[in-house]
Amino acid sequence: MGLVKPKRSSLGRATRLARLGAGLTGSYLAYQLQRPFLDDREKEVRRQALGRKSARQIREDLQDLRGPIMKVGQALSMQTHLFDADVVQELAGLQMQAPPMHGSLMRAQFKGALGKYPEEVFASFEPEPFAAASLGQVHRAVTKRGEEVAVKIQYPAIREAIETDFRMLRTAGFAARLTGHLKESVIREAERGIIEETDYRIEARNLRHFATQLAPLPFVRVPRVYDDLSCERVLTMSRVRGVRLQEFLETNPPQELRDQIGTGLTRLFFFQLFRIQALHADPHPGNYLLDQDGTIGLVDFGCVKYLKSEIVRCYAQFWSREWTNDPALFAEIIHVIFGPEVSPAEPRVRRCMAEIRSFYDEFHPLDGPSRALDLADSKFMDGLNALAKTLLKNKFLAPDFLFLSRTESGMCNLLHTLQARVATTQIAREWMPPIRKTGQ
Amino acid sequence: MKQPAEAKKGKAAPKGKRNLNKERTKEKILAAALELFRENGLEGTTTKQISRKAGIAEGTLFNYFKTKEDLALFFFQKETNDLIRWYGQAARLQDAPLPEKLFAIIHRQLEYIAPYEEFIGAVFFRSLQPRSKLSPLSLESQELRLKYLRFVSDILAQAEEKKEIPPIGELGAYAVGLFYMGIVTHWLHDPSEGKQKTLALLDRSLRLGTTLLKKGGWDW
Repeated sequence: MGLVKPKRSSLGRATRLARLGAGLTGSYLAYQLQRPFLDDREKEVRRQALGRKSARQIREDLQDLRGPIMKVGQALSMQTHLFDADVVQELAGLQMQAPPMHGSLMRAQFKGALGKYPEEVFASFEPEPFAAASLGQVHRAVTKRGEEVAVKIQYPAIREAIETDFRMLRTAGFAARLTGHLKESVIREAERGIIEETDYRIEARNLRHFATQLAPLPFVRVPRVYDDLSCERVLTMSRVRGVRLQEFLETNPPQELRDQIGTGLTRLFFFQLFRIQALHADPHPGNYLLDQDGTIGLVDFGCVKYLKSEIVRCYAQFWSREWTNDPALFAEIIHVIFGPEVSPAEPRVRRCMAEIRSFYDEFHPLDGPSRALDLADSKFMDGLNALAKTLLKNKFLAPDFLFLSRTESGMCNLLHTLQARVATTQIAREWMPPIRKTGQ
Repeated sequence: MKQPAEAKKGKAAPKGKRNLNKERTKEKILAAALELFRENGLEGTTTKQISRKAGIAEGTLFNYFKTKEDLALFFFQKETNDLIRWYGQAARLQDAPLPEKLFAIIHRQLEYIAPYEEFIGAVFFRSLQPRSKLSPLSLESQELRLKYLRFVSDILAQAEEKKEIPPIGELGAYAVGLFYMGIVTHWLHDPSEGKQKTLALLDRSLRLGTTLLKKGGWDW
């Protein structure tokens, strides 16, 4: 029995996945079977126990897995209605990393994609990657015209590996589908999103879109795509100045600069949300490059979420709270957020909306002088986290909202670490769309 | 092999030059044949076409290569020589870990054969026939085989010296040779763009193989 466990092989993954599926599905089935015999309170206790047990199991199982399946975990974490709050939190924490490529493989993959070796195409090319991307790695290079670029190269056949993982997931999750917990449409949606990320041409399109749309914000820099040096599996972009948050903080930036950057990040967020109605969806701190002159570089557009305008308008209502005196408007919001079948009178609905209102009333008051919010204050972060928890517990969030709130809290975390003071309320109102479509 | 070409011409060229000329003719024939194989396939190409394209008499062709298999063998000799020469000059690789060295070597081989995929596919399956001259067990391919095995053995011995892998002796080179044949089979049937599935398989199996060896994983 001296054989080592090949964690990265498909076989190892299949067994683990099967175990994950069987374990989860097994306990769900057991729960579903005894459900008719339990009273309501006992149901709740058991459901919570199941949630905790599954959360732990999922985390332990997925932590041992590497490669594409981690992406599946991330994608599933967007499906709030599938899992309980703590499972969702566990899944959201997964960070995927493709296996590193040595120089020979990287060169082979580059040539397979663009027909030539890196050193034939670039004036200089660093063989050691300077960053790991979720599906590959990033190298520094200089073009023949002398421009500094970052070259993202994908690990070979990652798309096929993801498709295999999904085939296994479907097998493993088959029984779960019977209970209605893992809908095929949900898996399909998750798969589509990940497969899209493996096509760097889509990322190139996102980069171009954001570069154009963000032009009104002169302090934001988005990498420029080099089309002739990019394809499905290789993406060549101009390098943007700036360093990651941690490095930036090591330079001991003065408070004014922190505030300036913090204000910039906040403006960037609300401009994306309210004007472009699309979000750079990975609030990972490594995706923001901060510079001493106050500019912000935004990189990695593999995952971009285009939002429905009714979602954006509803979210704007958290800030303007016009619903408090307008029952028709309130019903409309509930309809968008919870779905058409949910009544605005339901206790959990009222609980959620009351919670939202009190949070925004406290930190983003409607009247009074617009003061800067000190994001270094942990009171705000605690309030935000408590709100998120309440909403998740009450099954409040439609996937789009979950997405939004995660990006927002990622942004707030960034600002908290930066210890910036930002006039958030004022900035949010600047670009807020009207609640009803014009003419409605 | 008989050497009647110069006898016919009745020229008494110096031996070195004669061999050089002979080698050039062989390469001319191979280049012509490979081009025709690509157009018409191995079976669809006649010796007449090859000799015409190479600009020699059909009878002369047989003096150099009796069968298409002899031609293929010559191709693989050239390929192996190229590989060994290339590896000797690849300074970047000398200090690389074993999985990367083997990856680079096999990838170089795949790159060499890539333009002649159909030809390789055809001869590859012939080589599995026990009587084929291309068979890894045939007398005709022995010299070529030994050259390749020596080359791989040296690389594995270095890795053993550096304690990258435990001593595995002569078996190691044979294992790499068989592994290469498996990879070529996969490569021949790989429909993915840029054959990237083969790249992934090559990378993962070399990594796994080295890990297994390191941990004494054969002992189960």
